[in-house]
Amino acid sequence: MSYKVTEEGNISTVYLNGEIDMDVTEKAKEVILPIVETGKEVHLNLKDVSYMDSSGISVLIESHQKALENNTKVVVKEVSKSVLKVIMMAKLEQILNLE
Amino acid sequence: MNIEESKDFLVSTASLKEVRVFSREVFEKLKLEQDLKDELVLAIAEAAQNIVKHGYKDVENTNDRMEIKISLKDGDLEIGFFDKGKPVIPENIQHRKLDDIKPGGLGTFFIKQIMDDAVFKKDQQKWVNHLVLTKKI
Repeated sequence: MSYKVTEEGNISTVYLNGEIDMDVTEKAKEVILPIVETGKEVHLNLKDVSYMDSSGISVLIESHQKALENNTKVVVKEVSKSVLKVIMMAKLEQILNLE
Repeated sequence: MNIEESKDFLVSTASLKEVRVFSREVFEKLKLEQDLKDELVLAIAEAAQNIVKHGYKDVENTNDRMEIKISLKDGDLEIGFFDKGKPVIPENIQHRKLDDIKPGGLGTFFIKQIMDDAVFKKDQQKWVNHLVLTKKI
């Protein structure tokens, strides 16, 4: 997994790339959660994430919940088809902010 | 087409990608639809992840290996997982309720969604756990 972070105003966009499994979830959390804790709105762009398992879904849930604690939000954007299928299998499409 | 392929992997999170590559290669030979291939690869990866995460919980580094065997015979797909981790008590395996939104606990749910059946067998001398996932395809 690789990533890129861009800033624009009060929005930080994290572009994740590759496959997100248990082996990289700590790295993903280390990138996302500190930004969420600053209170900024975080956009997670998943267009280049080709695979995500339950560990990756846990990162999305944790980020979402951390955002609520910090009175901000995480928006999950441009979800690839394969990742959307896993999100829907977990019945999280109504919980996460998908765009 | 009938097939039987097996490969062993170091019990480590770093092996999960290798597990997916192996699974995709086998399913490529079977010419399955992409959606089905993706689902089966996810189920296999989740089961392998459970071995690393739960079977070897609190074990920092191990040289143990796990084996995955994929076989298809007359439309019956069987995927076997063999490991030497902590003995699994099947009755204790539960996925979290879906409306209890929290990180974790989804892997087993995904496996049950994708596969027809998941059973732990006690038929191996060489291994501690033998999980068998089956699906009619």
